[in-house]
Amino acid sequence: MIKVNNEDLDFTDGMTVEDVLRIKKYSHPMITVIVNGKVIPVDSYSTHKIKDGDVINVIHFMSGGC
Amino acid sequence: MKIVKSRPDLCTGCRACMIACSKVLYKVEDPDKSAIRIKERSGAESGYDIFVCNHCGKCISICSVEAIYKAKNGAVRIDAEKCVGCYMCVGFCPEQAMFVHKDINEPIKCIACGACVRACPTGAIYFEEQD
Amino acid sequence: MAGKILATYEYTPAKVEKGYAGKTLYINLSEMTIKEKPVTEKMKEIFVGGRGFGLWYLWNAVSSDTKWNDPENEIIIAGGPICGITQYPGSGKAAVVTLSPLTGCPMDNNVGGYFAPLLKFSGWDALEIQGKSDRDVIVFIDGNRGKVVIEDASDEPADTHLLAEKLTERYADSEEDKRNISVVSSGKGAENTLIGMLNVSFYDVKRRAVRVKQAGRGGSGTVFRDKKIKAVVVKYKGVTGDSNNPADKEKIINAALRLHKEIFELDKLQNRMREVGTANLVEVMNDYDLLPVMNFQYGSHPDADKITSKVFREKYFTQNVPDNCWYGCSLSCAKAVDNYEVKTGPYKGQKVCVDAAEYETIAAVAANCGIFDPEYVIEANFYCDTYGLDTISFGNIVGFAMECYERGIINKEITGGLELKFGNADAALELLHQMARGEGFGKIAGQGVKNLREYILEKTGADPKLLRDISMEIKGLEVSMYVSKESLAQQGGYAFANKGPQHDEAWLIFMDMVNKQIPTFEDKAEALHYFPIFRTWFSLQGLCKLPWNDIVPADNAMTDEPHKIPAHVQNYVDLFNGVTGKNITKEELLLQSERVFNFQRIFNLKMGKGTREYDMPPFRLLGPATKEEYESRAERYDKQLKELGYDIEGKAKEEKMTMLRQYRESQFEKLMDAVYKRRGWNKNGVPTLETAKKLGIDFPDVVELIAKYQV
Ligand code: SF4
Ligand code: SF4
Ligand code: SF4
Repeated sequence: MIKVNNEDLDFTDGMTVEDVLRIKKYSHPMITVIVNGKVIPVDSYSTHKIKDGDVINVIHFMSGGC
Repeated sequence: MKIVKSRPDLCTGCRACMIACSKVLYKVEDPDKSAIRIKERSGAESGYDIFVCNHCGKCISICSVEAIYKAKNGAVRIDAEKCVGCYMCVGFCPEQAMFVHKDINEPIKCIACGACVRACPTGAIYFEEQD
Repeated sequence: MAGKILATYEYTPAKVEKGYAGKTLYINLSEMTIKEKPVTEKMKEIFVGGRGFGLWYLWNAVSSDTKWNDPENEIIIAGGPICGITQYPGSGKAAVVTLSPLTGCPMDNNVGGYFAPLLKFSGWDALEIQGKSDRDVIVFIDGNRGKVVIEDASDEPADTHLLAEKLTERYADSEEDKRNISVVSSGKGAENTLIGMLNVSFYDVKRRAVRVKQAGRGGSGTVFRDKKIKAVVVKYKGVTGDSNNPADKEKIINAALRLHKEIFELDKLQNRMREVGTANLVEVMNDYDLLPVMNFQYGSHPDADKITSKVFREKYFTQNVPDNCWYGCSLSCAKAVDNYEVKTGPYKGQKVCVDAAEYETIAAVAANCGIFDPEYVIEANFYCDTYGLDTISFGNIVGFAMECYERGIINKEITGGLELKFGNADAALELLHQMARGEGFGKIAGQGVKNLREYILEKTGADPKLLRDISMEIKGLEVSMYVSKESLAQQGGYAFANKGPQHDEAWLIFMDMVNKQIPTFEDKAEALHYFPIFRTWFSLQGLCKLPWNDIVPADNAMTDEPHKIPAHVQNYVDLFNGVTGKNITKEELLLQSERVFNFQRIFNLKMGKGTREYDMPPFRLLGPATKEEYESRAERYDKQLKELGYDIEGKAKEEKMTMLRQYRESQFEKLMDAVYKRRGWNKNGVPTLETAKKLGIDFPDVVELIAKYQV
């Protein structure tokens, strides 16, 4: 089990940041991903492996609307 | 057309080019009004970086009032009459080769006159044919 | 007689100093008089400009009894001190203020186009129009010659795509001169409905086309046409980077270059505003279950991929032209579709340039009506614009009517034969044309969701509670396009907004629902204090909100308060100080807005509203109002109830719905208490005397008014 924005998510072996974003349908272009307090650079979303028990925060910036 | 090219390793930072340029463009000797800029490197590396327009023309489509155009000699020029001084082109120049001064409405940019090349004592800048 | 000059006024254009021309142009159409009024130091100190000036003039013009169509009502258009600088993205906006036909309270809109900057450089910080003409008129302001004329316009067309182009041609001396003209106009739809909006034009040099931006919400166009104004035109030649005559131009340049570079490097990685404008939100909102579908019943739809920015970019938007609505906006969100051939209605067969399509419009006219057809979006967008109709209100009305039709609450007898089923694009367009003609069901529907609900109740004996639950309006204004069911903070953002439920006051869904950054009531109240106030500031200055947070610096996430975009807030402090020569801090920046924000709340009170009861939303804004909605997200709601400790085993859906409703309503009430408290308002939602005093808006009439509501 991992925590994503305070909610539980099933952990699977080999899971990457990119997988988490896909499962959670986090498609907003302005996000910052923080795993256990550390910011993950955009270019390593597809390679950064998640460990069981990780705490992930995906911060969405607001944007939107005139 | 001929454009200004550089060999930064030869640059001594005398800024003669900048003085020459401001004289051509604005009839003053003021490095802050030059279209070529010599900047001392910061950090470990010593020496100078040289920023000058290569007339690639990418700024032409950035301008929303069609103030930037390719002149007959191939130089990319700004029509000061049309320019509203918005500086979008400055921010979007991939070479960072456009400059601003608070007393001048339009951006300061190279017109490919060659005065800087003639002023340079070391050959750190030179004119080269390019299509 | 058409073209006849009804009044003329000659003046010496004031030179703009540090962002202000120092004068307001006042026009009275009942008397056909034109005069100037000074902009006092006190006005600048307390109300700053833009919306602040608008509210102040309106406050002095109307009484508690004034109705939107009384001659006393005014339309004020004003930029603000920063308005008109060409360097910093988003600096050409106009604030439009008037008493709304939908809410009966002051309405404000922030609109692009060149009007406000050109007005200021013509010597006027604000344009204040009062009275009602007995015939159609055009007001023409020539800022170079120093002349204002009111002309008879009986023979001119009303619809914007004809009129704005015609007047641009007429008043420009040459093709080159066209960019010096801006036209404010509306259309036939505004004459025959209460959801009329204003178009503000600018000439797109690259497309060789007149473009328009909209002051959309709350019926400003309806007031405009009720005063019999066909157009207000301003002409000023000679805009440069120094026209606003700032005190310290270097401060402005530095901030501007920082932002241009940021946009150059990062926009393609962030929101792609330059490429697709705000349309990118369609796919984002659909993914997060936030896209209003079928009158806000649902938050996503499998067919939404037919109306995403990808479709518009690949098939419709004309690319490679920077689309800004004032000089210097490198964010350039103002997309357009060139050479669109109109398919229906009076302009069928014409080729037009449509300013399409923004997220709000796509969501409102399409998804919210269950229609997923991009060409319908462009068609509806074109007609709403040229008829002068607000796309958000239009989409809400059609969505609401369609839901009533599908639920059997109304039938063809009421709709005049229109088959208003979700997804019926032809019926939606027919309704749009009827609104413009002021005929049939269109005439009734054009009165807005609230009035339509009253009409249906009267005609059908439908269940009033159900109808209130599903009619998406608060204070009489239709809700803008975000599903707020799962975000308590956004529910407040909508419900407490001064002018009605528009997200420009607070847009907190992601912060609240997805990021879970503001979990407690205090956190939410703080956000609902800070953001509405901060966002009010743009409309005092003549600024666009988008360059604040639709692009962020690369290191923004590492800052203390990333959602405030601290680097950009600093830019705004620099801009204000650079223009005016003052030396405000970011706290003082907030104070400027807090003043105007509270003044507007008190203005609602003056108009007999502005208390707690007027901040109550329809239940659908808070949660599932019908069985179908509960069903569609049953897993989510069941889980929530369980986590809250409800015993839902074996309970019927109706029972579970009641539990959820009670819970959410009580949460909302608690939120209200927390927010009112944080804002310095009493339990009834009225600013306390201390708050008014602290903000320096304790004028005698304000004190007298709010004193009545203090217990
Ligand atoms: S600064 Fe002048 S030349 Fe450059 S984009 Fe703006 S208007 Fe065009
Ligand atoms: S070529 Fe002329 S305009 Fe260009 S940098 Fe040299 S002196 Fe300046
Ligand atoms: S971001 Fe868009 S709306 Fe705002 S000023 Fe720029 S072009 Fe206009």
